[in-house]
Amino acid sequence: TGGHTTEILRLLSCLSESYSPRHYIFADSDKMSEAKIRSFEQKRSETFSDSQFTLHRIPRSREVRQSWTSSVVTTLYSILYSLPLTYKLKPDLILCNGPGTCVPVCISALLLGLLGIKRAIIVYVESICRVETLSLSGKILYHFSDYFIVQWPDLKEKYPKSVYLGRIV
Amino acid sequence: FHFKDSLAEDLWRADLVISHAGAGSCLETLEKGKPLIVVTNEKLMNNHQLELAKQLHRDGHVLCCNCSTLVETLQSMDLSTLKPFPPGQPEKFALFLDKVVGFQ
Repeated sequence: TGGHTTEILRLLSCLSESYSPRHYIFADSDKMSEAKIRSFEQKRSETFSDSQFTLHRIPRSREVRQSWTSSVVTTLYSILYSLPLTYKLKPDLILCNGPGTCVPVCISALLLGLLGIKRAIIVYVESICRVETLSLSGKILYHFSDYFIVQWPDLKEKYPKSVYLGRIV
Repeated sequence: FHFKDSLAEDLWRADLVISHAGAGSCLETLEKGKPLIVVTNEKLMNNHQLELAKQLHRDGHVLCCNCSTLVETLQSMDLSTLKPFPPGQPEKFALFLDKVVGFQ
């Protein structure tokens, strides 16, 4: 969604050509991200010749302030949906930054890893908006990601296993 | 106006921005080097939105007030006390990721 997409595209802005192909996964209810992504990739293709990317929509796992019980159901549904997608893509690296959409994808990747099918490196970057507390996705993925990056020193203190690189977006 | 695709044009022309504490609004304004007054309403906003506004205020990048103190703030403000907001550094992230993945 909006802010998350803007942040993640900034994170991608300095990555080399080696990070290819790029598969963007976002919520089906998201109206604006597709345009932003295409615009980013369009600009990128002006510098790098071999720009491969794909776009995928998955059901949104949770609306803002959705109740706990219904969130579990919708998240499970999103996991069932993202499992075949993740299996098909077999990513080497998953980069995510906080919308509920990323949780089912990461869980799918973890399952594929456990089953010995494909082991992805999961890198989570918490939003710059998060200065003192983690988002719900962050709280979950802090325990399941390979690298958990925060952008403010308070969070590094509270979550010692995290990585602090300063502001990166 | 309703929802424009981008406020960038308006921001470039502005001398002062008064905004709610939404992260996108704050960051976009600060990155363009415009002085910013953030108006917070603790009753309406969920706590997480306030975090960034408070931090930016602590670091001296924005002025803060609430709806009732806005006029007073506008009358007594000294914008020269605001510190410039340095841009984020995605290059650091790229360096880090290259090491993680094994591209050196």
